Amino acid sequence: MAGDAGDGVSRTRNPFVGDLWVNFVRWNIKAVRNPFVLVVSLVQPIIFLVLFTQVFGGVATGAVNQSAADISYETYLVPAICMQVALAAAATSGVGLVNDIENGMFEKVLVSPMNRTAVFLGKTAAEVVRIAVQICIIIGLGVALGAEVATGVVGALGIVGVGILFSFWFTALSNTIAVITKDQESTIIGANLLQFPLLFVSTAFLPLAVLPGWIQTVARFNPVTYGVDAARAIMLGRDVMTVIEVTAFGGIYDTLVPALAVLLVLAVSFGSVAVYMLQRASSANVQ
Amino acid sequence: MTDDAIAAEGVELTYADGTRAVRSIDLTVPRGEFFGFLGPNGAGKTTTIKTLVTLLRPTAGSITVNGFDALREGRAVRETVGYMAQETSIDPELTARENLRFACDSYGVPRSERADRIDELLDLVDLADVADKRADDFSGGMKKRLDAASALVHRPPLVFLDEPTTGLDPKARNRLWEYFSQINDRGTTIFLTTQYLEEADALCERLAVILDGEIVSEGSPAELKREVGGEILEVDVEGDEPARQAAADIARSVDLFEPEATVDVTDGGISVTSERARTKGTDLLVALRDAGISVTGFNVRAPTLDDVFLAITGEHVETEPVDTLTADGGVPSGGLRGSSDRRSDGDDD
Repeated sequence: MAGDAGDGVSRTRNPFVGDLWVNFVRWNIKAVRNPFVLVVSLVQPIIFLVLFTQVFGGVATGAVNQSAADISYETYLVPAICMQVALAAAATSGVGLVNDIENGMFEKVLVSPMNRTAVFLGKTAAEVVRIAVQICIIIGLGVALGAEVATGVVGALGIVGVGILFSFWFTALSNTIAVITKDQESTIIGANLLQFPLLFVSTAFLPLAVLPGWIQTVARFNPVTYGVDAARAIMLGRDVMTVIEVTAFGGIYDTLVPALAVLLVLAVSFGSVAVYMLQRASSANVQ
Repeated sequence: MTDDAIAAEGVELTYADGTRAVRSIDLTVPRGEFFGFLGPNGAGKTTTIKTLVTLLRPTAGSITVNGFDALREGRAVRETVGYMAQETSIDPELTARENLRFACDSYGVPRSERADRIDELLDLVDLADVADKRADDFSGGMKKRLDAASALVHRPPLVFLDEPTTGLDPKARNRLWEYFSQINDRGTTIFLTTQYLEEADALCERLAVILDGEIVSEGSPAELKREVGGEILEVDVEGDEPARQAAADIARSVDLFEPEATVDVTDGGISVTSERARTKGTDLLVALRDAGISVTGFNVRAPTLDDVFLAITGEHVETEPVDTLTADGGVPSGGLRGSSDRRSDGDDD
């Protein structure tokens, strides 16, 4: 959009969607140019998927089936690994922002007339594409290892959707850490420090009922539990949520509705903080 | 429409750690002017620019840029200015063309004009041949040229250039000078900071000198030079420090120069700033010879902005002549540096 306004000075800028698109395109180009990040955030979850099913499969299958019908550990684990992929990819989001800060692009974007919320959403949208691709790869690999998606292809797409929604809060957190620390190592360490405790102190690898009491308590407040439960409900085609007892919606929706509601609230809350931090980033050191 | 591109009044900026980077700056830059902003490291040049382009919010004062209130209408200000930061700001993972396209897209340059503008700018900064190569592979000078191009894609009426030619080879620097002059001739207001005082002298119609966050002098390059108080007589003498000191003592003691004249010991001899430098220079040479000091060379010259700077601020500044920039476009190790105790470390200038 270009034209004269205000003081008769020529002004140019995009609508909100245009700003979002500009940033979406840039971050996608960067992702394609630097596939290393995509590969690295995939490798660890793949190792987890293969090793956990092979090493713990026999033991864990019994624990998994205490509260469920006869399902394989592969089927049980794939939703958790999908959320792990989303978590790992989201953790690298802040690193991209730190790179932008270091090479001056962050300041260049701030001094442009682009809407800063659109800037953040455009970057996040590009990361969502990456996460969707990675989750598809994990589901495909899981199926190859013997996992079954009870709800079929539509269900698999649903798991991708859950992974995307789940990734928002951690993407926002990673970017917030990046803006605060402005340091690549601190951002990586900060996000990774959280990643594994979050995964293990949740229903990702074992059902809530077989976890120690204190972990059960923490798991109820852990976002990973809600992401994994939502994805697992779709994977198994039934209600699996045990941290909140909901019966109002029936079947799979007794898990999906509360889990997605929690993830939505988290996404909006953490996202708002991230946008706020980005908006005041350049003036942060001024009295 | 107001006549001023920039009108700042009582602008102050204090960082959270208590550092007063800018202290009550009053500044007016008329539309179409090529304005220079000089100061040593840590004087507050970059902080001032960042405040004007809305990257930093002033602690006090008012700023109007292109008729818009920078505090209340930040986005309108950003739509109407171009900004080239001191540190090169490009995306190394994108090609030169993609960097410029991103800049065009960021400012909403009409789609029909983008390709032509990008080609024109790539030609201007001599990057047309490498337009589709990743910026990561560019030398420091090439990156700087690309950065300059990306600040101009939307043809803003006001451009802020923070040391734009640092690290450029002479050819690229001259091309940019030419372009800056061209766009200024077309009516674009330019606000320039530079560590090359020759650059300010060559380009700027008016200059302001900033020290410790305050503007200490303002005027045309010629007016500022007059503040030095005469011409500069430089005399090279044989021998080391004692010989140079003896020469300085003689220059101070002989009754050749007015009381306001200054005599400094330099690396190769002495320097005398005086209104009588040209007329009494030979008399000084005779006096030195009579005292047994061997003169190996002398020169009388008009004051440069270096001399102006020293006269105004009391700062001893080192400048690296522009023509000694590295030929490969790398960043030279020298540049304008304040060497007094007033120089602050770790600031953004």
